[in-house]
Amino acid sequence: MSKVFKLDESVEKSVKKLLTFLLNKGRIRGALVLQKTDGNSAVAYSLITDADALASACPLCPLMPSNAASVLSRLTLQESLPEPLAVVLRPCELRGFIELVKHGQGSLDKFLFISSVCGGVYPLKMVQVDGSVGEKLPQYWDAVKRAEIAPEIRPTCRACERFVPLGADMTVATMGESGLETKCTIFLNTDKAMGFIEGMEGKLAEEKLETEAIQQHKQKRKAEKNKLYDEIGLEKYGLSGMIDMFGKCIGCHGCSQVCPICYCEVCTFESRDLEPKPAEFERDLNKKRAIRVPPDTLFYHLGRLIHVAISCVGCGSCTDVCPVDIPVSSIFLKVRESVQELFDYVPGMDPEEAVPITKFETEELVEFED
Amino acid sequence: MKGAVIQAKAGIADGILNFLKEALDKGFFDALLLPVRVPAGDSFSYILMRDTSLLDGAFPLPPVMPVQGARALSSLTRYGKGTNRIAVLMRPCEIRAAIELHKLDQVDLENIFLLSVDCPGVLPLGDYIKDPRKGDALYEKVLQEWIIRSPRWACDICDKFSMPHSDAHFGILGAPESSLFVIPGTTKGKDFLESLDIEYHTSVKSWETKVQELTEEISKKREQTLQALSRDTRGPERLLGIFSKCINCHNCMRVCPICYCRQCYFDSDALKLTPDNYLMRAQKKGALRFMPDTLLFQLGRMSHMGLSCVSCGTCEDACPMAIPVSRIFTLVADSMQEVFDYVAGRNPQDPLPQIVYKEEELKEVEKAYIETYNK
Amino acid sequence: MEEEFKPKIVGFLCNWCSYAGADLAGVSRLKYPSTILPVRVMCSSRVDPLHIITALLKGADGVLIAGCHPGDCHYQKGNYHTRRRFALLKRVLENLGFDADRMRLSWVSASEGRRFAKVVGEFTEKIKELGPNPCREEHFL
Repeated sequence: MSKVFKLDESVEKSVKKLLTFLLNKGRIRGALVLQKTDGNSAVAYSLITDADALASACPLCPLMPSNAASVLSRLTLQESLPEPLAVVLRPCELRGFIELVKHGQGSLDKFLFISSVCGGVYPLKMVQVDGSVGEKLPQYWDAVKRAEIAPEIRPTCRACERFVPLGADMTVATMGESGLETKCTIFLNTDKAMGFIEGMEGKLAEEKLETEAIQQHKQKRKAEKNKLYDEIGLEKYGLSGMIDMFGKCIGCHGCSQVCPICYCEVCTFESRDLEPKPAEFERDLNKKRAIRVPPDTLFYHLGRLIHVAISCVGCGSCTDVCPVDIPVSSIFLKVRESVQELFDYVPGMDPEEAVPITKFETEELVEFED
Repeated sequence: MKGAVIQAKAGIADGILNFLKEALDKGFFDALLLPVRVPAGDSFSYILMRDTSLLDGAFPLPPVMPVQGARALSSLTRYGKGTNRIAVLMRPCEIRAAIELHKLDQVDLENIFLLSVDCPGVLPLGDYIKDPRKGDALYEKVLQEWIIRSPRWACDICDKFSMPHSDAHFGILGAPESSLFVIPGTTKGKDFLESLDIEYHTSVKSWETKVQELTEEISKKREQTLQALSRDTRGPERLLGIFSKCINCHNCMRVCPICYCRQCYFDSDALKLTPDNYLMRAQKKGALRFMPDTLLFQLGRMSHMGLSCVSCGTCEDACPMAIPVSRIFTLVADSMQEVFDYVAGRNPQDPLPQIVYKEEELKEVEKAYIETYNK
Repeated sequence: MEEEFKPKIVGFLCNWCSYAGADLAGVSRLKYPSTILPVRVMCSSRVDPLHIITALLKGADGVLIAGCHPGDCHYQKGNYHTRRRFALLKRVLENLGFDADRMRLSWVSASEGRRFAKVVGEFTEKIKELGPNPCREEHFL
């Protein structure tokens, strides 16, 4: 059983009420939440310091315009926060940020992390048609209420088994909560969270976070994941399969730009060192008679997989941003699961746990030696 | 102008490819760079080849422009010329971009032979990728009927669809039945035709007339379209509205042939500030959008590359949020270039306007200052 | 008649152990296939996974990484890192249906000339079974 705080308004309104309370009491200097942008159905993260601006906030909107991990890293890359800041973010975003902090790309200091049991998000491309996301909202929340997988959410989200946040100070219950239009349960996971809500109107109680509904939902997601495995059929790829999948890549490297884990300012694959010089082009041309220009498309994707797989949180931003519809995240899915399983590592679970590739055991992995 | 007439009995593509095959066999070049369909059949990529057997999968005019040819050429020659003489077949906008990149020291044209072709435009990349077969069928029609009415905005109003400053140009418009014109543009081009024993003194009047007619028609359309666009986009509010969907993936910048910087200023540490700074900015207005500086990026990029923008539309193709990037950039770039009477990619001899000046010019921009000063 | 396939194997050999081991194999006039192109590195942990995929994508039929036995690293712990990186890379390639058997990690000490010859011999046989690396002829990489 864990401590919960109960409010008598819809989930979204309650979160806004909480943020308003925190802002007005001066307990936080600002709140980072999703906010509607003018004139269309797009949303963007916004650093809100004035409670009035929360009116157009939509903290739980099922869209991920940018991974909050990248946003928080941008915010705290130079130094840690001077004063507390509340952030409403999804479980994968929080895991991404913790992973970034491990890589020295930000600081967890003075953050109040408010996350929710995540029902997944819609493909970002849905925003291209104005209003389309708004229309989907009723059916989205209806599915969440019934602990079903909402139709049309991204394949990555359908296959995500880590939809219960790790490391959040507060967790907003959504999955299987039949009354989420009229009431809201917020789990207070840390003492810090208790301190922040002190004096706010609401009921304190004790409840179980991982309910039956959540357990069942996990099974559904797992089934979806296995379905996706089969659909992608990664192990059959080999060289020709990889070329079929990545042949249409236009080299925009948008996948790495939006990836929360790809934090390098200048990517190795865009560096001078790895660009072939005329003599190298000619050498390759002599050998193969024909080469793709610009070269190294597959090298980029394979290389990025190697660099990212161990820390990949499966947020799906890479797929969202691909202009030629390569299912990058679905391809990454099995690889990252397998790599993370090898090192028994869950990225973003524990800020104190080092990334496996930076440490070792003296007796391990003997099956890889010959 | 004069040119040669070559056979194209089995279609335009076939005519061009046979011609290139002969040139490669005769050893006028060592290698060819041109678009080839990828094995999965859902897109095209530039392939550098020295073997004529690989020409079968080549497309002189592919239905889409997944990678701007100038970027491919820059990848090949950024570090200087190689020993191979390479013929490159590209669309006019790609050639224009290559000329701009040459001025910016990102393309070495010395051992490069630029071949261009009349271009009916391409299809939007996103649409094509969703259903390549449908796209192929649609484009087949575009090629047959030669209607420059591509659904892609940048192509629909492109009035520089024909011969750019290339070494030789394949004229399709106005060519006699089942044949093509090959028009030399430089002495390199003339040497080339001579070495192939091709007589190039036939009049290409019919091509010139057709090109001129079409250019005039599209120019008019371009002007009207841009005027209307200008009315709809003027002012910071409207601009903000247009770019409010931007997610800062910077795909537009990465695929832009002109944006060649390895480290874009807008991705650099210069714009990464302390949390206090962001908080103060937020407090001024009550909220600060994150990632911040979207409009700074867009306007900044515009000011960096606008003078060299060739309106190829690749930025818009690559935008995952369907923001009309190329429209806004074309609108601004056209008027930027007009100020200096400059047309990006027109001629390798025209210096980049931002690196030259005249002592007496642009009085109109000083006017406001002088008026105040004289009071 | 078709020419017999002679594999090309890139061998990243650590300076302190495996390179010396290879040297010993040579000095001792041990017989092993001339399929290996040695690249001397100061430590097996110098081998970036990208080096391995570069070699494979450029058409090497096999890549051997050889270093000091665990516990014997000249830099104390380099080879432990090598092992983790190797395991990670191998997992990635296996999952993508690549011939992950084209890469091999072996520990060969400076005194193990015989072992070096054996490792190269075995690996060469393995690669012969797998056949030439398809990347060698692939234009669309």
